[in-house]
Amino acid sequence: MSYDYLFKYIIIGDTGVGKSCLLLQFTDKRFQPVHDLTIGVEFGARMVAIDGRPVKLQIWDTAGQESFRSITRSYYRGAAGALLVYDITRRETFNHLAGWLEDARQHANPNMTIMLVGNKSDLSHRRAVSKEEGEQFAKENGLLFLEASARTAQNVEEAFLKTAEKILQKIQEGVFDVSNESSGIKVGYGRPQGTGARDGTVAQSGGCCG
Amino acid sequence: MKKMDLKGVVGLVFGNENSSSNEDSYVERLLDCISNGQLADDRRNAMAELQSVVAESHAAQLAFGEMGFPVLLGVLKERDDVEMVRGALETLVSALTPIAHAKLRANEVQPALMNTDLLSRDGQSISLLLSLLGEDDFYIRYYTLQLLTALLTNSPIRLQEVILTIPRGITRLMDMLMDREVIRNEALLLLTYLTREAEEIQKILVFEGAFEKIFSIIKEEGGSEGGVVVQDCLELLNNLLRNNASNQVLLRETIGFDSIISILKLRGTTYSFTQQKTINLLSGLETVSLLVSGGLETDPGSNNNRLTNKTVLVQRNVLEHLLMLGVESQWAPVAVRCAAFECIGDLISGHHKNLEALASKSLGDEPETEPALNSILRIILRTSSMQEFIAADYVFKNFCEKNSDGQKMLASTLIPQPMSITNARFEEDINMSFGSMLLHGLAMSEHDGDLETSCRAASVLSYVMKDNIQCKEKVLQIELESSMPSLGSPEPLLHRMVKYLALASSKKGKDGKSTTPRNSYFQPIILKLLVTWLSDCPNAVQSFLDSRPHLTYLIELVSNTDTTVCARGLAAAVLGECAIYNKSNEPGKDAFAIVDAISQKVGLTSYFLKLDEMQKSFLFSSAKPAQQRKPLTRSNANSMAEMEDIEENETNDINRNDDHPMLSSMFDSQFVDFIKKLEGEIRDNIVKIYSHPKSNVSVVPAELEQKKDEKDGDYIKRLKAFVEKQCSEIQDLLNRNSTLAEELASTGGGGESRCSGGGGSERVQIETLRRDLEEVSQRLEMVKSEKSNIESEALTYKNMAEKMETDLKSLSDAYNSLEQANYQLEMKSGGVGVDVEKIKEEAREEAQKESEGELSDLLVCLGQEQSKVEKLSARLMELGQDVDALLEGIGDDAGALNDDDDDDDDEED
Repeated sequence: MSYDYLFKYIIIGDTGVGKSCLLLQFTDKRFQPVHDLTIGVEFGARMVAIDGRPVKLQIWDTAGQESFRSITRSYYRGAAGALLVYDITRRETFNHLAGWLEDARQHANPNMTIMLVGNKSDLSHRRAVSKEEGEQFAKENGLLFLEASARTAQNVEEAFLKTAEKILQKIQEGVFDVSNESSGIKVGYGRPQGTGARDGTVAQSGGCCG
Repeated sequence: MKKMDLKGVVGLVFGNENSSSNEDSYVERLLDCISNGQLADDRRNAMAELQSVVAESHAAQLAFGEMGFPVLLGVLKERDDVEMVRGALETLVSALTPIAHAKLRANEVQPALMNTDLLSRDGQSISLLLSLLGEDDFYIRYYTLQLLTALLTNSPIRLQEVILTIPRGITRLMDMLMDREVIRNEALLLLTYLTREAEEIQKILVFEGAFEKIFSIIKEEGGSEGGVVVQDCLELLNNLLRNNASNQVLLRETIGFDSIISILKLRGTTYSFTQQKTINLLSGLETVSLLVSGGLETDPGSNNNRLTNKTVLVQRNVLEHLLMLGVESQWAPVAVRCAAFECIGDLISGHHKNLEALASKSLGDEPETEPALNSILRIILRTSSMQEFIAADYVFKNFCEKNSDGQKMLASTLIPQPMSITNARFEEDINMSFGSMLLHGLAMSEHDGDLETSCRAASVLSYVMKDNIQCKEKVLQIELESSMPSLGSPEPLLHRMVKYLALASSKKGKDGKSTTPRNSYFQPIILKLLVTWLSDCPNAVQSFLDSRPHLTYLIELVSNTDTTVCARGLAAAVLGECAIYNKSNEPGKDAFAIVDAISQKVGLTSYFLKLDEMQKSFLFSSAKPAQQRKPLTRSNANSMAEMEDIEENETNDINRNDDHPMLSSMFDSQFVDFIKKLEGEIRDNIVKIYSHPKSNVSVVPAELEQKKDEKDGDYIKRLKAFVEKQCSEIQDLLNRNSTLAEELASTGGGGESRCSGGGGSERVQIETLRRDLEEVSQRLEMVKSEKSNIESEALTYKNMAEKMETDLKSLSDAYNSLEQANYQLEMKSGGVGVDVEKIKEEAREEAQKESEGELSDLLVCLGQEQSKVEKLSARLMELGQDVDALLEGIGDDAGALNDDDDDDDDEED
């Protein structure tokens, strides 16, 4: 149960791009071809190791449908990381990315780390968005980028872990005030002393400033 | 001076509660003063006055709604005067708080509700209120929270919806939990209302870290020893977890259940259980039971989540604390003990590991330890509280359900003890095994004639044997020594139980009216034991039938009108089992004989009727799968905590032929289903047995021939004997036939037997009549349900219409006030001399009219009108009109008015 850090993630993107399947693959290591529409928001959690230190990921998978937007927006502010997902076989889901990003910029913490995920990479024969386009969009907007497949599990771990690495890096650079809950980051209680003294001081100084 | 005038009017208002027009104009004037008053003090005084009027007068509340919201929301928007903002918030709270002593006529609208409606309709105003939570002033935050709570109390769903649409709305409310204590406590209450049955809000709260905050407050306040704040925290916590699998997973995966479990932990030697502590513990136990029941049934992952919750809870040692509360702590109130047992029962239900964990738990200090299950059994046998018996019984029911190993373990200790030990007092039973204690309990009645203990033991015994043939056989072997050994050999336990059954009914018979509700459940429970025991167990059936009077007694019981519906039905079920699970060939004890006895002494139709009646009784129809317990809230907590054998008083006056209400918790859905299935089997089998009577004489044509070396005399003798046998059999069949025919004729129903007796046409007729009757009653049922559908539809439409009406009313009010405002604006801005004339005339008229009735009223009005005139004059001047010329025409009148005014003033002073 004990962890060094706890990060809150959200998963956003159009309906049907595979957000819930990505989460299920990540938390349960299984794929469910037919998934009910997400109503509101669902929760998942997993412990991972980043740089050899235990980090707890709390992940909120949101409904992509427009009608739930006012509910899902409530989750933006308190998140440290976001997976922004589109479906590489459906062009319109890529075209809507700008709108999602706008929403995130408006409601989220400015330091939120966003990972752009082009999902369903196993269906490359039906591809409607090239990998280069995804890369280009990510670069222009300062996002991380990966193409992944919830079905084959390809790059699913990476998507969550790379985001966590980035957040950890930002913490070490002192970007976050980790004592502020709205950052979506919490320092663990059960933190073993002595390991990684450098980061310990970062966390402690964060505590003092708050 | 103005202040004095206001006071005067208040006097008038209270002197004349009924004239709502008075209220209207008074509230209107105050509102006018609030928005247009020149001096800050005037505005503040008017606000204070408005608050007190709205808080106390029904009519003023009503009047306020129509005009007040725009004005007060304006004040809240400006926020330049802290005192005004406080006052406005306080006034709004008053406007939404129903006046307790006001008598409302049946169809009258509750003004507080109407005001709630007006205010909550506009998302903007809620947004405005939430933004006030960021203010520095303590009272502003405090009153804002109270206002939101009032809104939520009156119109929860609408407000929940509105708050969800406000970005960061819930976050703001959550932040209040970190505020100073008074605010924090207020916020807790607010969040409790906000989260009731609102899944999305519950999730957002949890996202915002509600769990951590709740647990830190609970810890700060002293856990279960804490005050009402802890209770509020737990109520909020329970709201967040109830039917919400997502939040349960989050709690389990991130914070864990330790914080919950530590609330249940009793510290030191606890003997003091205050009311508050009892409620806190009950709330904590409710948390456990919510986790154990998982999310909504419809959720596909619910079952997994439920099982994982159970696993983790037991891993974190919750059983230890529950056993402490339920068994070991002598001072825990009954309500707490019962809730603890229910939690234990839920935790082990359908969970193999947890079953084992409970079985291996020991209680007490070395060396005087004993298995927890033994301690629970002792409570079942000994408690004076019916509720506690039921709750502890629930533990055994769940322990034995689909747990054949556990049943075997318990049954293996069922070894009869010599009399010396059986006679030992309970106090010395610490070293007794489970089985000995149970047998001791079963045998108790032999000594003191008190059936209650034996009956409770019988209930436990029926769980031990349920669906487990090995255990049934094992218990069949048990023989009890007779209390008076001289009277003969030991008797089988099964026979002893039938004896108790007879004892229970004979007691009833003899005592007549003195039968207390307390023992009206004895018979059904012993019968339940027999039904369970005999099911699918031919040896038990045989043992039962070994004693001839048993069958006679049972048949008597089925048709005994002095017993309850349930007892008759269960007796019929046992009788049926004697027939369908009967493997005996012994004449008089075989299946055929039983069916014969039923048909001759009870009548088949009447027999099946008993089974039917039972299933229609409340015990069976009210048994719902997994009834949800009522949430513990502030309003019902006290009564829940004080549960102390209430049923003793409540049920005293029930008819002694009614079944005991407590039975409904023992006749759970599993037992009800079991009986249903059994009834079907009994019907099928009895018909089968009846339609294929086993013949004593088999007719083999070859046997009728004379054998080769048979003498004629012998042949004739043989034939004669054969014919005699056949004759008696024919007689037999004829007898049965006539019984059946009689029955058919007298009841006009049944149709079970296929023997086509006499009166074929009658039969056909009866059959058709019966069918017609069925059809008609079906149609009647349909029409009934249609009717109720239509009724409920009508009701919804009516409600809708009512809502529309109030909506319309407020809309038209709004329109009216808009028109008024429009009219005033027109007058002000027009710069038209003629209007000034009109206004003056109107003013004079109005002033004159009012002066007749209310002198002080006049004062205010005149002052206001005059200032209006002045303003208008000034405006006219600004607009470049020739004021002097205009005044020439009207100046005299104005002067006269002024004079009057002065005079009045003088007189009054």
